[in-house]
Amino acid sequence: MRTAAGATRRALPFLLRGFPSSVVALVLLIRVLLVAAFTLVGIGWLAIPSTVRSVRRWAGRERRRIAAFTGRPVPAPYDPPGRDDPATRTRTLLADPATWRDLGWVLIHGLTGLVAGLLAPVLPLGAVNAAVVPLYWKAMPADDPVEAPYAVTSWLGALGMVPITVGWLILTLVVVPLLAGWQARVGRRLLRPTRDVRLSERVTELTATRAAALEAHGAELRRIERDLHDGTQNRLVGVIMHLGIAERALRRDPESALPLLLRAQDQAADALGELRDVVRSIYPPVLAERGLDGALAALAARCAVPCTLRVDGLRRLPAALEAAAYFVVAEALTNTAKHSGAEHAEVTVSLRPPADPDDEEALVIEVRDDGHGGADESGGGSGLAGIRRRVAAFDGHTDLASPHGGPTVVRAVIPCAS
Amino acid sequence: MRVVIAEDDTLLREGLVLLLAGEGIEVAAAVDNADDFLAAVRAEQPDAAVVDVRLPPGFTDEGIAAAAAARREHPGLPVLVLSAYVEDSYATELLAGGADGVGYLLKERVGKVEQFLDALHRVVAGGTVMDPEVVSQLMVRRRADDPVRTLTPREREVLALMAEGLANPDIAGRLVVTETAVSKHIRNIFAKLGLAHGDTGHRRVLAVLAYLKS
Repeated sequence: MRTAAGATRRALPFLLRGFPSSVVALVLLIRVLLVAAFTLVGIGWLAIPSTVRSVRRWAGRERRRIAAFTGRPVPAPYDPPGRDDPATRTRTLLADPATWRDLGWVLIHGLTGLVAGLLAPVLPLGAVNAAVVPLYWKAMPADDPVEAPYAVTSWLGALGMVPITVGWLILTLVVVPLLAGWQARVGRRLLRPTRDVRLSERVTELTATRAAALEAHGAELRRIERDLHDGTQNRLVGVIMHLGIAERALRRDPESALPLLLRAQDQAADALGELRDVVRSIYPPVLAERGLDGALAALAARCAVPCTLRVDGLRRLPAALEAAAYFVVAEALTNTAKHSGAEHAEVTVSLRPPADPDDEEALVIEVRDDGHGGADESGGGSGLAGIRRRVAAFDGHTDLASPHGGPTVVRAVIPCAS
Repeated sequence: MRVVIAEDDTLLREGLVLLLAGEGIEVAAAVDNADDFLAAVRAEQPDAAVVDVRLPPGFTDEGIAAAAAARREHPGLPVLVLSAYVEDSYATELLAGGADGVGYLLKERVGKVEQFLDALHRVVAGGTVMDPEVVSQLMVRRRADDPVRTLTPREREVLALMAEGLANPDIAGRLVVTETAVSKHIRNIFAKLGLAHGDTGHRRVLAVLAYLKS
C-alpha cells in the first residue's frame, strides 16, 4: 500500500508534466504534416532541417523528463552533425532512424499524453470530491443535487460515498502508476539509440574500459611489487643482517648478541605484518571466509565513525568484483573517518535487477555520511581517484556528491555480468 | 677503512652502520638518497661506498646511476652495490665504467658477515665482485651447442667462482682443493672456451663475464 502510494506520488507530477509536452507534440505533429504536404508539392524540403531540429529539441526535453522519472539516463541517439551542404544534410537527417523514431514518439505522445495528463489529476480529485460530498451535499439545492456519480439526496446516499471514495482511490493507485510506467517505457524505447547504435557505442566504451582495466591492473601490479620489495623484502634482509651481526657478536662477546637477536625478531614480525597487509590489499582473506556481506560488516564494525550497514539481496559474486566492492567501501569509510567530521556513516550495498533485456544486473554501493561535505577529488583525494579507477576497471561508474555542509555520498555502480 | 653508505630504508641503513662499526670499519656518512650520497663522497673522500640500487625518488636504479656518477667524479672509487634482486643489466651498467673496484651483491649477502666483509675488502683492493646469483643466471642461459656444456661439474664450479671475482687461492679454499688443481681446472676451462689465458684479477672476471653474456 505504501509503495503504491509512493509510486503514485512520483507518477503524478511526471504525467502532469507530460500534459504540456503532449500539447507541444500535437503542434509539432501538425507542423510535420504540413512540411510533408509541402514537400510533396516540392518546396517543403527546405523546412525539413529546422523541423527536425525542433523535434529533437522537444525529444531532448522528453528524454530528461523520462530520465528524471526512471532514474536512468536516456542517451540521445543522434550522430554529430556534419558540415555538409543543406541537401546532403537533409538526406542524412531523413535516413537517420532516430528522426523517424522521434516522430513515432511525437505521434504517440501527442495522442495519448493529453489523456494521461488529464486522468492523472482527475482520478485523485474524484477521490477527494467523493470524500467531502457528505460534508456539502445538504448545501446543494434539492433540484440540482450532487451527482457523484448518482444523485446524493439523503444521508444514506452520502454514506454510499465511502465505498465510492475507496473505489476512486484504488483506481488512482492502480491507473496513475500504470500510465506513467507505460509512458516512460514507450518513450524510453523510442527515444534512446537503436540496438545497433547501442551495440557499437558499447564496443567503443568496452574498448576504452578494457584499456583502463589493463592500466589499472598494471598499476596494481606495480604497487604490489613496490610493497613487497621496499617493505617485506627489506625487513627480511634486516632479519638476516641482524642475525649475521649477532652471529659475529656471539663469537666475540655473547652478552652483546641478545639485543641484536631481539631486533632481528622484531624485524621478522614487521615483515610478517607487511606481508599480511600486502595480501589483504590484493584479496582480503575475510572475503573468502565470510563473503562480501560478512567482510563489509567487519569493515563497518571497525570504522572509527559509527556506521550502519544495509545489504540487500546479495549473493556470491566473482572474486575480483567482491574485492573491488570491498575496496570501495573500505576506501570511502577511511575518507569519512579522516576528513568528513561525520558522526554517522551509512553503507548500502544492493544488487539492482536489470531494467530491460539490454540492461545488466548491477552492484550498487553507496557510502553516505553526515559530515561537513566539501570532498574534492582534485585536492589530494587520491582515495576517491582510486575508487574511480577500480570501479571503472569493471565498466562501472562512480558518482560523488559532497556539497559544502554535507552530506557526502559516494555511489558506485558496477555491472555484474551474470 | 672509511665508507659512505647510501640506503633509503632506515632500519637497513642503521643495521649496516652497526655491522660495519662492529667490524672496525668507520662509517663516514650514511645517507638515504643519491644527491646526499654524492655530496658525502665529495666531503668525506671515503675508501669505499656501499650503495642500494633502489633509491628515491623513482625507486628503480638510481643507485646504479649514483655509483657511476661517483666513480666519474672520483676515478677508482671502490663501489659495492647492493640490490634487492638480481638484474644482470645492472651488473653490465656498473661494469661499463671499468670493472676494477666494483661489486654487485644481493642485499641478503650482508647476513654472511665474513663473506660480505671479504667482498668489501676485495672491492677496496681493486677487485671485482659479482653475486653468485648473477653468475648462475648467466650459466643457465646456455644454448645446446655452447662450450660451457662441455665443462665438467667441477670446472663449472671453478668458472662460477672466477666470475664472482675470486682469486685462485680463494677458489682453492672454497672448493677445498689445492691451488695447483685450481690452476689446472682454469687452464682446461680457458682451453675449452677458447679464452686468452694469463689474465688475472678483474680482467679475468671481465673476460669470463663477457664470455658468459655473449
